[in-house]
Amino acid sequence: MTLSPIDWIIVVVYVVGCLSAGLWMRRFIRGVDDFTIAGREVHVNLGIASLAATEMGLVTVMYTAQLGYEKGFSGEIIGVIMAAAFLLVGLTGFVIRPLRDAGVMTIPELFEKRFGHRVRWLAGVFVALGGLLNMGIFLRLGGDFLVHATGMPASWLESVMTVLLVLVLLYTVLGGMLSVLVTDYLQFILVGLGIVTTSVMVIINIGWTNLITTLQDTWTASGGTLPHPFNPAHPTSFGWGYLIWMFVFQLAVVTTWQTTISRVLATKDSGTATRMYRRVSYYFVGRFLLPGMWGIAAFVYFKQHGGLPAGLNSMTAMPRYLSAVLPIGLMGLLVAAMIAAEMSTISGYMLTWATVIYNDIITPCLRNPLSNKGQLLLTRMILLGIAVFLLFFGLWYQLPGDAWTFLAVTGNIYLASVFTLLIAGLYWPRANATGAYAALLLGAIGPITFLVLAQVMPQHQIPAEVAGGSSFGLAFLGMIVGSLATRAPAPVLNPQPTA
Amino acid sequence: MKDPYVLAWGALLFTSIAWYGFLVFFIGARAGKELKTLIKDLTIARPPEK
Repeated sequence: MTLSPIDWIIVVVYVVGCLSAGLWMRRFIRGVDDFTIAGREVHVNLGIASLAATEMGLVTVMYTAQLGYEKGFSGEIIGVIMAAAFLLVGLTGFVIRPLRDAGVMTIPELFEKRFGHRVRWLAGVFVALGGLLNMGIFLRLGGDFLVHATGMPASWLESVMTVLLVLVLLYTVLGGMLSVLVTDYLQFILVGLGIVTTSVMVIINIGWTNLITTLQDTWTASGGTLPHPFNPAHPTSFGWGYLIWMFVFQLAVVTTWQTTISRVLATKDSGTATRMYRRVSYYFVGRFLLPGMWGIAAFVYFKQHGGLPAGLNSMTAMPRYLSAVLPIGLMGLLVAAMIAAEMSTISGYMLTWATVIYNDIITPCLRNPLSNKGQLLLTRMILLGIAVFLLFFGLWYQLPGDAWTFLAVTGNIYLASVFTLLIAGLYWPRANATGAYAALLLGAIGPITFLVLAQVMPQHQIPAEVAGGSSFGLAFLGMIVGSLATRAPAPVLNPQPTA
Repeated sequence: MKDPYVLAWGALLFTSIAWYGFLVFFIGARAGKELKTLIKDLTIARPPEK
């Protein structure tokens, strides 16, 4: 074990405090609206804290550090693109303003108004499928961090992550979005403190000049065969094709990713939502760049200390490096912060996908509406089911390539089609249900082919940018051709502002 | 070290550290007040069940 008793005390105090706060909020839950969207009572700063905490998970820290380790600073360009997408949408209100004004609880619910209930159901299936697969690796990556940062035996990973999941499940099942908001707030503070202090310590430890010159020298010595550490558009790094896909992908993420949109839908009005987007935008540069820099520092550190030790890889090098260089107390703060990041992300994501399954897949199939208690019970049972799925999927699934690519491709299963449906539904009166079906099905082909090939024929893997980029192209093509080829009437959506 | 890419990444990195530090205190304080108000409003609108 590399953690001292002081470090463990910090971790335990945080976990107990967070759990108590989350459980305390259950007293205010009266119905499914309170449970899933906090009764739409969220103001801008609390929305920012909750959004930032949910989107900064331990899984984020792990994959951004892996990108930094493998591609240097170039790997962190994705955060810059994401920040630009948030700012653009925050300035224009593109998609999120009419979406919030429509007063819906989930995106598929909006599709019912525009394309009918069958499209809503199918969209709900795609949203849940993409979201759950995407979330499937969270526990494994989080566990990898804890094993290598704390020095605990690797055999404890499953048990520790199960306990953590049960704790998160407890307050999420009982308190829903209200508990998630309170715990997100605590986690926002702790994660922010942990990330800032760790980043400063890492720069002091490794030295800025040493970091830069080692990256430059390594690339020069490789004869340009390694990824360019500073220029993401360089052919050895991402290249323009990947960057263009990422821009469209991130635009789709900030307008359709249900965990982000659930914060938009929980705001008091659309003005609050756009303000929240503008103010939170730059946060996403640091979300990639700061933990990414820890990964870059780990690369430099191990390069100058005899190479990467046996048993470590580009993913686990960062936590092992931090455990070697951070002092007592700060290591405890960091581990507590990372547990906080893991808890806020898992709780936010579980609640979001449970809401989609309840609201868009199960409810439309019910002949008689459930009572208030029945709705709550059903949503809580779905949360339990998601937790069980996470445990089993996370244990056996082997990642095809790096973690970020897996997350991007699984998210793409629904991002391309739902993004297309949203834009067409909100801004193109000619769009109809046939176009929506075509977009949903065609948009999923590329990512699903990528995932299947990775399992059955890894030697014939297609590039991620081809799988992801083609899904956007096919979804838009399906919507346009399907809508223009048929004359099915579709009511024009005219959202009314709801407080 | 005068490579424009290096300068740009350095600027982004150090601005991010400063921005995160600012956010933790500024947004933290304001969000804390909003959370307090939210709980107060909820307590009035929905008194705890016995």
